Amino acid sequence: MTSLVKPRTLFIGLSLLCLLATWLSLALGPVSLPLLDTLRAAARLLGLPVAADGLEQAELILGQIRLPRTLLGLAVGGVLALSGVAMQGLFRNPLADPGLVGVSSGAALGAAFAIVGGSALGGLPEAFGPYVLSLCAFLGGLGVTALVYRLGRRNGQTHVATMLLAGIALTALSGSAVGLFTYLADDATLRTLTFWNLGSLNGASYARLWPLLLVSFGVALWLPRRARALNALLLGESEAAHLGVDVEGLKRELVFCTAMGVGAAVAAAGMIGFVGLVVPHLVRLVAGPDHRVLLPASVLAGASLLLFADLVARLALAPAELPIGIVTAFIGAPFFLYLLVRGRA
Amino acid sequence: MRLNIRFVALCVALLINQGARADELPQRWVSAGGALSEWVSALGGESKLVGVDTTSQHPESLRALPSIGYQRQLSAEGVLSLRPQILVGTEEMGPPPVLAQIRNAGVQVELFSATPDLPTLQGNLRHLGQLLGSEAQAAQLFQGYQQQLDRQAARVREVQLKQKAPGVLLLVGSSGGKLMVAGKDTAADWLLQQAGGRNLATHGGYKSFSVESLAGLNPEVLVFADRALSGEEARAALFKENPILSSTRAARDGRVMELDPTLLVGGLGPRLPQSLEKLTAGFYPAVSARAP
Repeated sequence: MTSLVKPRTLFIGLSLLCLLATWLSLALGPVSLPLLDTLRAAARLLGLPVAADGLEQAELILGQIRLPRTLLGLAVGGVLALSGVAMQGLFRNPLADPGLVGVSSGAALGAAFAIVGGSALGGLPEAFGPYVLSLCAFLGGLGVTALVYRLGRRNGQTHVATMLLAGIALTALSGSAVGLFTYLADDATLRTLTFWNLGSLNGASYARLWPLLLVSFGVALWLPRRARALNALLLGESEAAHLGVDVEGLKRELVFCTAMGVGAAVAAAGMIGFVGLVVPHLVRLVAGPDHRVLLPASVLAGASLLLFADLVARLALAPAELPIGIVTAFIGAPFFLYLLVRGRA
Repeated sequence: MRLNIRFVALCVALLINQGARADELPQRWVSAGGALSEWVSALGGESKLVGVDTTSQHPESLRALPSIGYQRQLSAEGVLSLRPQILVGTEEMGPPPVLAQIRNAGVQVELFSATPDLPTLQGNLRHLGQLLGSEAQAAQLFQGYQQQLDRQAARVREVQLKQKAPGVLLLVGSSGGKLMVAGKDTAADWLLQQAGGRNLATHGGYKSFSVESLAGLNPEVLVFADRALSGEEARAALFKENPILSSTRAARDGRVMELDPTLLVGGLGPRLPQSLEKLTAGFYPAVSARAP
């Protein structure tokens, strides 16, 4: 498979798409603001000297609600897509997704523990309930991934196939533990758990945004440096080693970046499926399998896709809101089926 | 003399203030929580409501209002797009970051307790009355409610002298085929007690039971609280699917009752006394029939 478009054209196109998504995400919402007000409020947020008269509402909605939400969408979408590329590169399988190493199921377990356990202890204090939930989800994802990685190691070597199977087993195990928590949950916590599992960018605030932004910046800067190594890995592990790639180190880095990135994304926005699987695919269809293009392009495409999905989530049922996981799966699942069917033909 | 002028000025200021306060009562309301929306309507505030959540299903006319979604998953911008001056809800309303955003936008956010007991309801109604500018009506409403519940308690005491309390099970959410039985420390348990029934379930919370252990408890009365199961046909279908269930005393004697599931969430609502009365009549058929 070769590229359909030149990398430069692709990057310009995706950057424009991402800018468009960002602008729409700032400009559209259940509260309809006049375009001029949006522009002036945006200018004020950028620190330009614009008169503030009559802009209180626009500034509040833009600065306190839409901007943190947009930043959250950009970070979550980008980091999920990037982790998807890392996992598909690691497993050398285009059907791999970040959930394979157990990070999603571990995060779900952590979240279920926090939601159900918290309410069993008489309810977490309102002020840091969400933080405890995020922290537990993050640590759960990290913990299960570490275990999967540990199980995949033998004689100082990481066996990817063993890791895959260990991931499946631990996902099943976490699933049953989540099931147990679900059984113990009362009606109210059950609803919270269900909604968490569907993900949402709703209620984003700067305080909860910074950790994710830091992690995703780190991952987004680090992984593209491993593009050549990932390209070599496409040939096979021993071939990559002969080409001078530190394969064990690479595997460790890929798993660690995925665990950190997906863990932080899930902790901030709940479970959002299919972005990590579908976006790398889409980009590969257009740009070919070269990771030097695939990695950065996936960040842009993932961020744009998530922002567009969030627009649907917040506008479709306004003033109510759809969980974004429903929207991404609704787009992602048919696309996945299309890939399957097309591959067979 | 000087003091006098000051006094007059103070009085005038207070009067103006008073007048201003009446004008400042919130006129555009968004309500999240079934029972709460019912009380707002009962206090004459229905015309002020500009949006409700998905649990606000009564009175019927509320369903025509814009829906802000499920009370635990509100969207800040969605709520703000209705330009409300006040958002009222139970402590189940959330998530907290969204409430903070709504508060920051200058909307008054008032939280009410959903604990099902009379002192809580009294406090809630007084608070709502103040916010709606109908304190007297709120006090009257509460008094009437209390009297209704007192009468209900007296009725239960009376019939229990003549007949033993029947063993009851309350089933929830059986639309998917799985029966959830209401245990201790649930609103349903409290409701059964108030109606004079003896809840046979001894676990805490709502748990799914196997049909077999359900039949083993052999309830005298079954109460279904599920929107999907209202109507004779749906119930007949359930018994057909679970033959063991139809061998219980309740099914044999035809003592299967319905309860509006919205009564089980969000605290005490205005429709509760009538429902309790109906349940009691079903629990003690012989005695109730003889009563005038």
